[in-house]
Amino acid sequence: MTETILSLEGAELTLDGNAGPIEILKGITLNIARGETLGLVGPSGSGKSSLLMLMGGLERATGGRVKALDHDLTALGEDALARFRRAHMGVVFQSFHLIPTMTALENVATPLELAGVADAFDRAEDELQAVGLGARVHHYPAQMSGGEQQRVALARAAAPRPDILLADEPTGNLDAETGQAIMDLLFGLNEKHGSTLILVTHAPELADRCQRVVRLADGRISETVSQKAAAE
Amino acid sequence: MSWAVAGRIARRELRGGLTGFRVFLACLILGVAAIAAVGSVREAIRAGLDREGATILGGDAELELTYRTATVEERAWMEAAATEVSEIIDFRSMAVFLTGGDTERGLTQVKAVDDAYPLLGEVTLDPAMPLEEALAGRDGLPGAVLEPLLADRLGMDLGDQFNLGRQAFVFTARLIREPDRATAGFGLGPRTILRSDALADSGLIQPGTLFETEYKLRLPDGADLDELEAEAEGSFTGVRWRDRRNGAPGVQEFVDRLSSFLVLVGLAGLAVGGVGISAAVRAYLDRKTEVIATLKTLGAETRTIFQTYALQIGALTVVGLAVGLALGAALPLLAAPLLESRLPVPAEFALHPRPLLEAALYGALAAAIFTLWPLARVEDVRAATLFRDGAGPARGWPRVFWIVVTLGLVGALTGLAAWLSGLWQLTFGAAGGLLGAFALLLLAAFGIRRLSRRLATARLFRGRSAARLALGAVGGPGSETGSVVLSLGLGLTVLAAVGQIDSNLRGAIARDLPEVAPAFFMVDIQPGQMEAFEAKLADNTAVTRVETAPMLRGIITKINGQPAAEVAGDHWVLSGDRGVTYSDRPVEGTKITHGTWWPEGYSGPPQVSFATEEALEMGLELGDEITINILGRDITAEITSFREVDFSTAGIGFILSMNPGALAGAPHSFIATVYADAEAEADILRDISNAFPNVTSIRVKDAIDRVSEVLAGIAAAITYGALATLITGGIVLIGAAAAGAHARTYEAAVLKTVGASKRTILQSFGLRSALLGAAAGGVAILAGALAGWGVMRFVMDVDYTFEPVSAGVIVLGGILATLIAGLIFAWGPLAARPARILRARE
Repeated sequence: MTETILSLEGAELTLDGNAGPIEILKGITLNIARGETLGLVGPSGSGKSSLLMLMGGLERATGGRVKALDHDLTALGEDALARFRRAHMGVVFQSFHLIPTMTALENVATPLELAGVADAFDRAEDELQAVGLGARVHHYPAQMSGGEQQRVALARAAAPRPDILLADEPTGNLDAETGQAIMDLLFGLNEKHGSTLILVTHAPELADRCQRVVRLADGRISETVSQKAAAE
Repeated sequence: MSWAVAGRIARRELRGGLTGFRVFLACLILGVAAIAAVGSVREAIRAGLDREGATILGGDAELELTYRTATVEERAWMEAAATEVSEIIDFRSMAVFLTGGDTERGLTQVKAVDDAYPLLGEVTLDPAMPLEEALAGRDGLPGAVLEPLLADRLGMDLGDQFNLGRQAFVFTARLIREPDRATAGFGLGPRTILRSDALADSGLIQPGTLFETEYKLRLPDGADLDELEAEAEGSFTGVRWRDRRNGAPGVQEFVDRLSSFLVLVGLAGLAVGGVGISAAVRAYLDRKTEVIATLKTLGAETRTIFQTYALQIGALTVVGLAVGLALGAALPLLAAPLLESRLPVPAEFALHPRPLLEAALYGALAAAIFTLWPLARVEDVRAATLFRDGAGPARGWPRVFWIVVTLGLVGALTGLAAWLSGLWQLTFGAAGGLLGAFALLLLAAFGIRRLSRRLATARLFRGRSAARLALGAVGGPGSETGSVVLSLGLGLTVLAAVGQIDSNLRGAIARDLPEVAPAFFMVDIQPGQMEAFEAKLADNTAVTRVETAPMLRGIITKINGQPAAEVAGDHWVLSGDRGVTYSDRPVEGTKITHGTWWPEGYSGPPQVSFATEEALEMGLELGDEITINILGRDITAEITSFREVDFSTAGIGFILSMNPGALAGAPHSFIATVYADAEAEADILRDISNAFPNVTSIRVKDAIDRVSEVLAGIAAAITYGALATLITGGIVLIGAAAAGAHARTYEAAVLKTVGASKRTILQSFGLRSALLGAAAGGVAILAGALAGWGVMRFVMDVDYTFEPVSAGVIVLGGILATLIAGLIFAWGPLAARPARILRARE
C-alpha cells in the first residue's frame, strides 16, 4: 500500500472580501501518495491556486483538516509552518519570485542557509548546474531571461530535496519551448528524487503528463481522472 | 544562528541600493547634526568658561560691594589673603562732548580702575598700546578709553576731550576687548574705562551715589576657596563673593538654558523627521512584501525576517548617525573663527564627545521609535501574498508587544531629554504637546478622509470631475492622506509654535509697555540738588509729570533672625541688592492691602511696608521682622503693611519702603521719572545735564531698545534653531510627494485611458494637495498656538497673544509647499504614456 503524504478532509477556505465573506474552497477531500504527480486543473477562479496554498500551508484552512507527513497543517503556527516548509516542501511560482538583490547562486542557497545547511553554496551551485545554469550562477535575476529565472526558481525549490514540490502554473509566463524544457526538469526531479509533484496548470498537455488530474469547479472537486486508468 | 543568516540576507538585500532611503537618511542626519552642533557650541562655551574662569572673573576671586568701598579692615583682610588686589568702581554716567557749538551726550557704564587692573588677561585697544599709557592722558588731562559705539554716538575722534561730571578727560584709544567683560552683565550704556583717582574732582562719586565696587583677588596657590568665601561672608557685611570655579554663573546658566531649549527644538525637528523616517521604512517594506513572502515560502521564520530588516534599518541608522554626528561636530569647528568673534564669552571649539554622544542617543532612540512600528508589520506579511495580488501587509495595529516597546522608547527618549536638559517641565510639556499634535493630526486625517469619501459621491460634485477625483483620492482606500497630514502637520506645528514664540518675544516689550511711559529715569540726584532739579523741570512746559523718590540700596539678609534664603528660598527679591525708599506718608495712589502705614512723624523702632505680591510669594506675614543691610549697616524693621506695587507702569516702584526715621543719616540720592513729550526729550537731557553734571539720565526708549535687542537675539537663535526643522519638514514633504508619485502615475494612466484630460488630472492632483495642506495647516495653527502659549507662559514668563499673521503665513506656506511638491511630482505621471504604464503593471 502506498504511503499518503498529503491528505485533505473536508477542507474549506473562506476569505473576507469587501462585499462580505467569499467561499473559495468547499469541502475538499483528497489524498495524495508519496511520489505521485498530481495536476490541478479548472477554469479561472475555481480555486486551484488556493488549494495549492492550503497544501503548502501558505494559507490556513477555515474548515476541515489538511495533513502533510502526519503533521496537521491547520494546527501549526506561522513559524512552525515555515519550518515545516523548509524541511519538506518546495514551491515554484508562475512569476518566479526570485529575490532581485540576490544572484542566482544566493537565491538558491537561501533556503539551504535557512535550514542551517553547512555547504549551502556548494549544493546550490550543483543544483544550478543540474538545471543547466552553471555559467549563470553570479547573475542577478534582472540579467536573465524568463526561462532562466524559472530554472533558478526550480533549482531553489529542489535544492533542499523536498518531499513535496508545489508548482503554480510554472510555465504560465514562458513560451512553449521554454515551458517544455521547464516541465521536463520538473518531472525529472520527481523521477530522480521521488518528490511528490503537485502542479496547477491551464495547459492540457502538462496535465496529461501527471499520473492523476483533479478538476475543480466553483471551489469543489468536479472530477478526478487517473491517467493510467484513462490510458487503459 | 538566526542572526547570522539574517545578517547575510540583509547584506544581499542592501545591494538594492539606498533608493527610498534618501529621505530616511536626510531626516536622521539633519536632526542629529542640529542637536550635535547646538550641543558642541554649548560645550565649547562651557569649556571656554571653565578654562578662563579666572580671566573672565578678572581674578581668582571677586568681592563685590554696593554703594561703598571697602573699609580699612576689609582691605587689610584682602591684602592678607591675596597676593594681589585690584579695585574697580563701576557706575553709570553721562559722557558729554562739546563739539563746535553743539553738545552731544551719551549714557555710559564707567569702569574706574587702579594700577593693578587687569590682574589677568589683556585689555585690547585701538590703536594698540598698554592700558596704563592710554589712561595716563595728556596735556594735564586724564585719559579714558571708550567703546567704539560710544565714541561714534558722540561723534568723537581720538584726542578729543569730553566730560564726565565736572572732570574733563581725553579720549586716547578705542576699547576693543576687556578680559572680564562677560561678568559685567547687562549694561545699558557702552563702556568707558578710566583711572579711579581721576574721578576725585568729578563730583560723580558722592555719598548716596549708585555705584558698585569690585575687588579682584589673585590668591596664592593652594588657597582654600570655600574657607575664604565663608570667612569673607562672615566678616564683611553686604558682600557678594564669586570665584574662578564659576566665573560667569549668569552667562553659563543663560547658555545652558538657551542651548537646552534649542536641543528641544532640535528634538521636535527629529520628531518631524521621524514621520519621514517611518514613511520611508514603510514604503521600503511595502516594496519588499514579495521578497518577505518569498522568504516565508522558503521557510524563513518571522524572527529571521524581522532580524533581516531590523539589521538593514539598523545599518542605515548607523550611517545616518555617523554622518549627522560628523556634520554636527564639524560645523561649529568650521564656523569657529566667526563664532569666536561674535560671542561675548570665550569658547574652546574642539571635538567634544559628550554632546555627540547625547545627539547619537537621541538619534538612535528616535530612529528606533519611528522604525519599530513599520518593521513590526513584517510579521503580518503572509506567504499567500505571492498568490493573491494586492494582499499587501495589513494596516492594523501591530502586536501589543511592539506598542509597549515603542511607548517604552518614547518614555526613555523623553526622560533622557528631560534629564540632560534639566528642563523637566518644558520637556514633558513639549513631549505631551507633540503626542497631542500627533493625535490631533491622526484625528484630522481620519475626519478629512471620511468627509471626502462622503463628498465624493455627493450630488454637488457630479460633473465636477477634478474635484470628485480629488475627493475620491483623499477619501479612498490606500490614500496618502494619513502620512501627508501627519508629516506636514507636525512640521507646520513646530514652525507655527516657533513663529508664535518669535513674534511674542519680539513684541513682548512693545506690548507690555504702559500707554504713557516716562521719557527718562534720572538717578544720582543729590538731596541738595532736589529743589533746583524740580524747579528746573517745573519751568519746562513740555514736562507733563515728575515723580521723585529717595533711594538707597540694600540686601535683605535675615527674616525673623534666620538667614533670608533659608526662609524664602531663592526668590528674586533676595538675589542681590534692592532699591529701598522711605516716606512719611504713602505715595499718592498707593493701595495698602494689609496692615496700616506708620503715623506721620513716626520715630519709633523701624517699620517697613512690603510689596504685597512678592511678600505673599516669599511667605511673609505682618509682624515679621526683616533685616536689611544698607551700606554695611544692618537695619531690622517690622513689616507693618503690605501694599500693591505695579512694575508694569514703568514708573517708580519699590519693594521696600521704610519710615524716614529708620534710614535717618544714611547717605542717599534721589531718583526721578520724567514724563514729557517725545520732541522735548533732547532739550530736557541738555538742560539737566548742563545744570547737574553728576545726574545720569537714562532715556527709557534707549533702554527699551536695548532690552528688545536682547530679546530679538534670543528669538533669532530660536528661529535659526528651527531652521533644521523647516528643512526636515521640506524633505519629509518632498519624500511624501515622491512616494505618492508611483501610485499617481498609474492613476493618471488609468484616468487618461478612460478619457480624462491632462488639465482635469492636474486640477485633481492640485486640489488634493491643497485639501491635505489645509487640514494639516488648520491643526498646526491650533497646536502651534497652544505650544507658543505654553512656552511664553511657563518658560519665558511673558504674556501670550495669538499672532495671526505668522500663523497665516505658515499655513499658507504649508499649502503652497504641498501644492508645489505635489505638482512637481505630478509632472512625470502626466507626461507618461498610459499604455506603457499599464503594460508594466500587468
